[in-house]
Amino acid sequence: MESKRQDERFIIPIGPQHPALKEPAHFRITVDGEIITNAVVRLGYAHRGIEKATESRNWVQNIYLVERICGICSHIHATAYCLGVERLAGVEVPPRAQTLRVLVAELERIHSHLLWLGVAAHEAGFDTLFMYSWRDRETVMDLLENVSGNRVNYSVNLLGGVKIDIDNQISDTIREGLAFLEERTLHYLDVVSNDMAFLQRTRGIGVLTRSQADVLGCVGPVARASNVPRDVRVEAPYGAYQQYPVNIVLVEKGDLEARFIVRLKELLESYRIIREILDTLPPGELTTRMPRRIKEGETISRVEAPRGELFYFIKSNGTDTPERVKVRTPTICNMLSVLKLAVGHQLADLPMILAGIDPCFSCNDRVAIIDHRRKSPEIWTWQDLRQYGIEYYNGHSR
Amino acid sequence: MIITTEKALSTATELFENWVWKTRTEKPEPNRLDVYLRSSEDLIPMTVGLRVQRLGYLAAITGLDLGPETKECELLYHFCTAAAIVTLRFRVPRDGAIVPSLCSVIPSAEVFEREASEMFGITFHGLRNPDHLYLPDDWPEKTYPLLKDFNPEVLKTLHDREPDNGK
Amino acid sequence: MESSITMDILDKIFTLLIFPGGLFLLILGLAYEWVDRKLLAQLQNRIGPRWFQPLADVIKLLAKEEVIPEGVNPWLFIGLPIIALAGSLTAALYTPLVGLPPSHSFPGDLIVTVYLLSLLTLCMGLAGSNTLDRFSLMGATRTLTQLFSYEAPFMLSLLGPAIVVGSWRIADITSYTENHWLLLSQPIGFLVALIGLIGKLEMPPLDAPEAETEIVAGAMTEYSGRGYALFRLAKGAELVVGLTLVASFYMGGMANPLLFLLKTLLLLLVMVGLQTLITRLRIDQTVGLWWRYGTLLVLVQWLGMIIWKGVAS
Repeated sequence: MESKRQDERFIIPIGPQHPALKEPAHFRITVDGEIITNAVVRLGYAHRGIEKATESRNWVQNIYLVERICGICSHIHATAYCLGVERLAGVEVPPRAQTLRVLVAELERIHSHLLWLGVAAHEAGFDTLFMYSWRDRETVMDLLENVSGNRVNYSVNLLGGVKIDIDNQISDTIREGLAFLEERTLHYLDVVSNDMAFLQRTRGIGVLTRSQADVLGCVGPVARASNVPRDVRVEAPYGAYQQYPVNIVLVEKGDLEARFIVRLKELLESYRIIREILDTLPPGELTTRMPRRIKEGETISRVEAPRGELFYFIKSNGTDTPERVKVRTPTICNMLSVLKLAVGHQLADLPMILAGIDPCFSCNDRVAIIDHRRKSPEIWTWQDLRQYGIEYYNGHSR
Repeated sequence: MIITTEKALSTATELFENWVWKTRTEKPEPNRLDVYLRSSEDLIPMTVGLRVQRLGYLAAITGLDLGPETKECELLYHFCTAAAIVTLRFRVPRDGAIVPSLCSVIPSAEVFEREASEMFGITFHGLRNPDHLYLPDDWPEKTYPLLKDFNPEVLKTLHDREPDNGK
Repeated sequence: MESSITMDILDKIFTLLIFPGGLFLLILGLAYEWVDRKLLAQLQNRIGPRWFQPLADVIKLLAKEEVIPEGVNPWLFIGLPIIALAGSLTAALYTPLVGLPPSHSFPGDLIVTVYLLSLLTLCMGLAGSNTLDRFSLMGATRTLTQLFSYEAPFMLSLLGPAIVVGSWRIADITSYTENHWLLLSQPIGFLVALIGLIGKLEMPPLDAPEAETEIVAGAMTEYSGRGYALFRLAKGAELVVGLTLVASFYMGGMANPLLFLLKTLLLLLVMVGLQTLITRLRIDQTVGLWWRYGTLLVLVQWLGMIIWKGVAS
């Protein structure tokens, strides 16, 4: 696979296991001294075959399957899927349910952006910011737990509605949490735009111009940091975003600093939307009836995940299982920009450039667990897995 | 500069209705325009046409297996502008399909094409790096997991093999 | 007569191996490492390790298997950590540890001490370049690059007090500084010495040579078990020796153990503060920092001192 000419150069492997990567991916970085001359990526280490698996599960089971594509943006995957299926079925979701979906989506965005802030600071070697932002992230995770009962896979969506509701007590808790987070976010915004040592690592690093971002098909905060107005919430408002319009956050510079500022300003925007929702939550039903079989047809569902546009193509053949579910996650769109940007930079900047797009590899690598011993795709119990592990290692040590 | 959804759809409709070859277009949903290509040869000129009109960016390439009995797969290229989605779609044979690569026009097509090629067995002519993107390097050859008649049994050989000590 | 010689030898061995060199220094090094980690954790809103954690780490590492990777020179691989530790421990003999006068002393021992302190860095660089691992090689390059950038200004900043006193003997300098806070008259030298020490110990923000997010553990990547434990002990000892040197030169000397503890810990606190506040510098930024600012500023201070000395005489 590797040409001989490349072998003679100095190639630094980053991954599949590497302290800079919180998830598995493999980068081959060719360096000349400290300068990167080439970068190649290999994905698939977290490839689970979810796209294939959706074809053997019914419409309802698939909500929980797609929710597990990503641990951070689980809600938005389920939302995209539900919106698509509801459109295919021609079902109108009650307004209260739509608004609650948006509420959880925005809380999830806060969670994701704060997590990113910490990771990116850690990559820069600024662990203090990492520790503080992750401490504050606990606040929003507690809020999510309050709302949905879970910290990670919220399982809020149903086909045709949501399964949670909020009362005055919860909305007061959310308001309290948001007040604290807003104060912290303003502080972080001050830090990332004024701390000299930190700016040395972010200002002018990894510059993605507007035309490059456009050609490479960047999405989400990465595109918006390069002044490309690409935000599905604004361009094609879905669900309750028609009632709660989003102000798009654009920054011109396109460097790492801009990516920090875009995400932090989006946090402030999320706080505003959530407050507005809490003030004017429409009353009414939470669910509506959904047919078990979905009418034949195709639909495309686009939503704005924390990392950018999430694209679902769903095809139904009129039965109770989908014919095809295609998932295009935002990271895959932005990944190419990393490889392009890295060339010419210092090796020390690579972790930050990589972190700058907020990569999510398990989002990237979807599609299969196929159980080869049991001859059928099914779920193993913990005992099975343990037993398998013991047998595997016994077999190999002999 | 910012193109609205309606403008994008009308521009695209106009573009393809006056295309050199008669092209069938459909509007399955208010914000979508599906363009059925005669064959894969029209793909690059039409993409260039879209790019010239500044209509959208390549959001995804979807592969569809129409089933073993039809002996055909379908490829869908989705271009998004605001809420508008223009889809260029055409059918290719399930076996040994060769489709021109879009990499020269849209560099980001590379990842989508690599995915389609390993999942459906479609060869993209002009793809610089046709290696696996998601599947392991030792994935059995001529085995394409997203085809409907994919049999997980073939993976038995993949997992039962001895570890090769990283060679 | 004979018994006094025996006593003398026993005394020397005690000084060398138990107190204040040797064992005591190693334990003190671990204690300071804990203070560093604990304070850093507290400032970062974490709980931090328990008091025996550095000791537990070392014991665990000593008990672990040492894997000698393929393609290295095994003698160097095993020998370098030992030389590094020996360097730090020897350097300690010439410094006024715990406020006691140095156990050994001769004219010009300042130069020897500073170079003994560099032995650790040199050993780490060699250890990294001895292996075939890419991360180690990158780390070794960075370690040595950093060494070349801070070494000259660090040395110059320690020679500043020597010029004032007119002696290159540590004992002479410390007896002079007991009554003079050179920190006040040579603030630049103090700052450079402090930051030089951070660079020497590869602590954040000058930890580019072992930036975990880029090159795992830098030159130390291939080390496990005993070799790594020895390097860590050497670092701990060097932390204490370095703090002692800087504190006794610039912070009004240290006449007794209490002052020693107070001043070195104060200095450590300042270092922890810098670690908390500043982002890791890239290696090119580190080099730029030293050669553009560090060296020039120290030289300016030197010039001032020499002129002042000339005017005074």
